Amino acid sequence: MNKLRSTIDKIKPNFSEGGKFSWLGSTFEGFETFAFSPNTVTRKGSHIRDAVDSKRAIFTVIIALIPALLFGMWNIGHQTNIATAANWGFWYEFWFGFLRMLPLIVVSYVVGLAIEFTFAQIRHHEVYEGYLVSGLIIPMIVPVTTPLWQLALAVAFAVIIGKEVFGGTGMNFLNPALVARAFLFFSYPTHMSGDKVWIAADLWGTDAITGSTPMGDMAVSGILNNSALEMFLGTIPGSTCETSVVAILLGACVLLVSGVASWRIMLSVILGGGAMGLLFNAIGANAYMQMPFYYHFLMGGFMFGAVFMATDPVTAAQTNCGKWIYGALIGIFAVLLRVVNPAYPEGMMLSILLLNCFAPLIDHCVIASNIKRRKKRLEVKA
Amino acid sequence: MSDVIKIKKGLDLPLTGAAAPTIGDATNIRRYAVKPTDFVGLMPKLLVQEGDLVKTGSPLFCEKKDTRICFTSPVNGKVSAVVRGDKRALLAVVVETSDAESNEEKLSLQLSDAESIKNAMLQTGLWTALRQRPFGTVANPDSQPKAIFVSAFDSAPLAPDTDFVLKGREKEFAKGLELLAMLTKGKLHVSFRPGQALAKAAQGISNVVCHTFSGPHPAGLVGTQIAAIDPINKGEIVWFMNPQDVAVLGNLALTGIYRPERVIAVAGPQVKNPQYYRIIAGASMEEITKATKLDLNTEGNGFRYISGNVLSGTRIAHDGFIGAYDSLLSILAEGDHYDFMGWLAPGFKKFSFSRTFLSGFSARCKCSQKAKQGNGPKFDTNLHGGVRPFIFTGAFEQVFPMDIYPLQLIKACIVGDIELMENLGIYEVEPEDFALCEFVDVSKTEIQSIVRQALEQLRKEAM
Repeated sequence: MNKLRSTIDKIKPNFSEGGKFSWLGSTFEGFETFAFSPNTVTRKGSHIRDAVDSKRAIFTVIIALIPALLFGMWNIGHQTNIATAANWGFWYEFWFGFLRMLPLIVVSYVVGLAIEFTFAQIRHHEVYEGYLVSGLIIPMIVPVTTPLWQLALAVAFAVIIGKEVFGGTGMNFLNPALVARAFLFFSYPTHMSGDKVWIAADLWGTDAITGSTPMGDMAVSGILNNSALEMFLGTIPGSTCETSVVAILLGACVLLVSGVASWRIMLSVILGGGAMGLLFNAIGANAYMQMPFYYHFLMGGFMFGAVFMATDPVTAAQTNCGKWIYGALIGIFAVLLRVVNPAYPEGMMLSILLLNCFAPLIDHCVIASNIKRRKKRLEVKA
Repeated sequence: MSDVIKIKKGLDLPLTGAAAPTIGDATNIRRYAVKPTDFVGLMPKLLVQEGDLVKTGSPLFCEKKDTRICFTSPVNGKVSAVVRGDKRALLAVVVETSDAESNEEKLSLQLSDAESIKNAMLQTGLWTALRQRPFGTVANPDSQPKAIFVSAFDSAPLAPDTDFVLKGREKEFAKGLELLAMLTKGKLHVSFRPGQALAKAAQGISNVVCHTFSGPHPAGLVGTQIAAIDPINKGEIVWFMNPQDVAVLGNLALTGIYRPERVIAVAGPQVKNPQYYRIIAGASMEEITKATKLDLNTEGNGFRYISGNVLSGTRIAHDGFIGAYDSLLSILAEGDHYDFMGWLAPGFKKFSFSRTFLSGFSARCKCSQKAKQGNGPKFDTNLHGGVRPFIFTGAFEQVFPMDIYPLQLIKACIVGDIELMENLGIYEVEPEDFALCEFVDVSKTEIQSIVRQALEQLRKEAM
């Protein structure tokens, strides 16, 4: 360790202000602080600080994503195995999925981080870690057959238009991962929906394999081909890593125990979605409406969205009361869009993006009541 | 006595090294200083020169805009230095005494009404111990406070125990409260911990209301208490005073002698003999820090001496002077060390309000017990990360007990939107109220500075 430290200290002046490579300063600092937590001490204000920093918090989210990621890799192989009757073993299924998933992750990170580093350099600030989460989530919520060039384009769009134009991490009002997905969804609809995109072709095969998702089934025919248990476990076709409710709940545990994500949002999304589902049950006008309400939690991206996307602290509501309203509305709109709007089988993405837009308004209203209370106190006095 | 007011939001930091209830020897201190920098928004007008002989209570400098407000020498002696900084700003007036126990002048005072009390306080310089909110400046003698607040306990990390500090001075404390209560047409609110012995001394004084606060820090901050008892509205003013200064006022009334005596705690995780010292306000810490034994086995280089608590105190040199409003000298190890893959390590020894470190799981319930055994988390001045924009939300609200949206108010302060700040309750807060927010902040923003700047902006607008 000391050797690494002294090497870093030796080359550091080159990257500082006035050094040969000062134009790479932010990049250098990004890697340095990755290896060593910095030796900065407090200057003003509180002399001691909490041990948590944004690297640690972001890292916790990544840990939370790992169960879903690993399950997703296996499931990619598993689905291909079933569809092609290839008779693979467990580890081969996983290996196959791993090989399929890896390029998506690499492309997402390389493109996204390159843009992040460039902007950090231009703005002369440290590299912010936010993209480490977005960059992992993006390949997890797209179909496995997404062409890499489309993914790269979507990532670039999401990072530049969705985030950097507003000032970068912490300033964006839309969830960057969902911006990427929405970009793909509206730009290349044939690659993002239907029943030909969810299962990876065998390494040697070229023909697309047909396999429909439960949501597709419900939207098209109203007949489910999967049991609730299958949907809960996640052994069904779908976006790469969002099928398994079990794996997502494991991640949710990490987020809730560590306190990184808001339990208020997670709970209220589920309550909102459940309430809307129950309302449709009561109406019961078609097969989709008659479907047991809790199936909504098991299908599509509902749980993934509730746990990992709706809780993005930058784009969510920021007041506690606002979080309840924001979460509930996401749940309600997600189910509403799914059942009533046949054009978009998955309502979660659009629902979260919609509420991202309204989160500041929700907060504004919540805070207005605090302001009103304060003014009233003044009037009572006067 | 009213019911116990429970403060639920907040955080007690498990720092070790709180002062033991013994009083160390500090009789050989010779240098004392009054520092204009301790007083918010002060424009000092120097009244003495180097070499002048001064007595206890004779003015060293005064407020330019209101020359009645004098900052006086705490001891008899000679002005040995006038310290100036950038742009000749007055930083300190140092008085050297030949004998700390020199005879004190007895004043003949008739403290029977508000005017006479005010005059006596202005005359001796004790007035400067009385501060006002909003803005945290020395109280304006002409303003009419709607109430006066005294917090008779300190809940900050390593804080001195007020009961111990005022032991034997209960009568003076009670007398001081009695006089202070005459300065307002409203009430004098005194706040105690449940079961605090000192509370008995404050019983039955006219115009004095006692309150009991339970719960974690910041329950002991006067700002928390004001917000819970009688929050400040726009245009209103409250005054507040530290309990030891109340006793000084009482002593002045009872004996006619102005003697700004103070018991301070010297504490910190690396301090081997944390204890109390009886000093005169403004004393140099040189002798005390020499007598303090430190555990030198730290990761960083050197120590930081803080006048006040570790959350909102002021950094001073090891031979610097204790601040005008402080009764605690905190000593912390500097944290200028690297931490290999610090963001990845399990972090058993790291303290975090979040539960992102393994220590966090035991932290909330068992930390204080573990800390007593010396196995608790370590605290030093490391920032623990880089500065970021605000990303994560929800933590401020858990440590900020007032009916205010802290994040939103901070953001309003950053953009300098006066109307929004007023709407969100800027007049109710002081930087110290945000100290815990600053501590837990993932983005490492200097929140207290931001709040102070915003308050100064408002104060200048109001002038």
